[in-house]
Amino acid sequence: MTTDTVPTAVALEEGPPVRSAWMRFVSDRPLVVLSIVLVVLVLVTGAIEPNYLSLRGLRNTLLLAAPLGVMAAGQTLLMLTRGIDLSVAMVATAAAYVTGNRSPSGAAIAIVLGLVVGALAGAANGVGVGIFRVNPLIMTLAMAGILLGLFTQWAQTILQGSTSVAPFIRTLGGGSFFDNRIPWNVLVWAGVAFVVIWGLRATGLGRMLYAVGDNPVAARLAGVRSWQVLLVAYTISGLFAAVGGILLAGQAGAVDLRLAQNFLLPSVAAAVIGGTSIFGGVGTYSGTIFGALILSVLNSMLTFLDAGQAVKQVVYGSIVLVLAWFYAAVTRAE
Amino acid sequence: MTAVAVPSGQAAIRWRRWLVRHGWTVGVWVLLVGLIAWYSTLIPRFGNFTMASIAKNSLPTAYLAIAQAVVVIAGGLDLGVGGMMVLANATSALLMEGEGFGMTLLIAAAVIGGAALANGIVGWVIVTSRVPDIVVTLATLFIFSGIGLMVLPSPGGGTSGGFRRIFTGSSSGVGTNYWPSLVALAVPLALVAAWLARSRRGLSLYAAGSHPIAAYLSGVDTRRAKITAYAISGALAALAGLAVTAITANGDARFNNAANGTLNSVAAVVLGGIALTGGVGSVIGAVAAGVILFVLNPILTALGINPNTSQVIQGLVIVGVMAMAGLLELRRRRTE
Repeated sequence: MTTDTVPTAVALEEGPPVRSAWMRFVSDRPLVVLSIVLVVLVLVTGAIEPNYLSLRGLRNTLLLAAPLGVMAAGQTLLMLTRGIDLSVAMVATAAAYVTGNRSPSGAAIAIVLGLVVGALAGAANGVGVGIFRVNPLIMTLAMAGILLGLFTQWAQTILQGSTSVAPFIRTLGGGSFFDNRIPWNVLVWAGVAFVVIWGLRATGLGRMLYAVGDNPVAARLAGVRSWQVLLVAYTISGLFAAVGGILLAGQAGAVDLRLAQNFLLPSVAAAVIGGTSIFGGVGTYSGTIFGALILSVLNSMLTFLDAGQAVKQVVYGSIVLVLAWFYAAVTRAE
Repeated sequence: MTAVAVPSGQAAIRWRRWLVRHGWTVGVWVLLVGLIAWYSTLIPRFGNFTMASIAKNSLPTAYLAIAQAVVVIAGGLDLGVGGMMVLANATSALLMEGEGFGMTLLIAAAVIGGAALANGIVGWVIVTSRVPDIVVTLATLFIFSGIGLMVLPSPGGGTSGGFRRIFTGSSSGVGTNYWPSLVALAVPLALVAAWLARSRRGLSLYAAGSHPIAAYLSGVDTRRAKITAYAISGALAALAGLAVTAITANGDARFNNAANGTLNSVAAVVLGGIALTGGVGSVIGAVAAGVILFVLNPILTALGINPNTSQVIQGLVIVGVMAMAGLLELRRRRTE
């Protein structure tokens, strides 16, 4: 390598890191940039379809953003710990399926059972990753396969019967208040957002999530029992996936085994767009909220443009790639 | 050879070292042979037809296992292999329909070349942007399979009889001659394995994977190693897609096929003894693990277990093996 032969010249050239004012602004206030991106996207979508720039049009975007944002909450927590949950979509589907199946016995019981399914699946992931040190990618991918196998079978046996959800869940997932302007599911999302943001900032668990992801060895030496942190984090992620799945089921009115399958990449994408690093220790949920909103507006835009699932896959993939590259460039400049 | 002349103590040491280095690979192959032997006792007629069926149908998973292995050895992870397989399958099935043998071969070569180039660019993006491999290739999984779906919105297409013969041994795709399938697997496997173990560039993949900084400081072009690994991975993933075209005479770009392909490739690599941290393992073990993952299906069917339960069992086996490896690692670290 030519650079190795002239180290002094390189050192002189580099000097103190030079950062443009713009780059500094961007890396200090990522949320400002994200909101600019969001506003631009909303305006562009409005230019394509003028009706979109009304409360009714925005309502549809929020309706989609809420379940995505809730699922991405779990994803964010896990990415903070250097993990990832590739089973969110399947856990959400499984939980929603149980909720739909138990709906005849009342909404409350159905929801609780759905949440229990999500928490159990998440806890199983947590045991695998936290205690047995299975790679999170493999653990959660395998979990998705296991759940798909189990539920395909159970759908014809012990979970036979109802596939439509109770009226209360339908209102919660798809209805809206204030003259049909604000979807109910946004309230659920707001609740989740409050708990996550507050929890990450103000609780010991929140700080330990960052610690475990930032430097596992240092965290262990400081006395953090990382397996407990991971177990709790994966359980919470399963729980959030279940909440997202139940909201989706309410929106669709009925459950099937493909309910949430299109939410896997968007849930990871929302966290990545929001600035959460897959290497752990860096990120906030407020960024993820913007990520979920941006993806939902994008989805509305693609729907107005009559784009099919194929185009959506390509666009989502490209957006993730471009924004992740952008973040890497900005953070490296620091 | 010389082992006879060497004192027995040294031979034992050498033997032990060989076993430590290749024990896992040998174990996986022994397991594969054992599973096939067991399968032969489970079904009423185990003959050439069954052998041919196993040999050809395990090709896609086996190719994907090699594709993933090369990247993981170089310290990366390619979640996009399934997407590339689906894209190659869709493109080739669309273009090859109604063409003669010569033309299908040309198309196959073009698909492999294009895939190597595209995935090489993915590798370039990873080393240039320094975005984690997982994020970039998760995106390419969706991009490639999305493009596949654009190329071929609903399953269809076809290929020539001669092309089917290359991978399946029969122009109808169903037959009793298993040799062509074995050769179709052995040739790329031998090429990649020899290249990895013997060539300078191949070894640089191990160096880049085990300790990128040390490799860089000792003069290894780690960027080039990784880009090469991704390009090879793309070519092999495309080969998996072509094998699907030959076996089914059909293109099918549904996302589930891509996701399953990726899952199987990662599982095969892990079961095959390649550390996800990079720099350790051999493609030969990964291939056997890939075939094992496929062979489990007919075995579980022969045992009277329905496909959904076998999917559950496969998942549990993967997690179980990983958990055991994790525990062993933990114990080893404690005792040291």
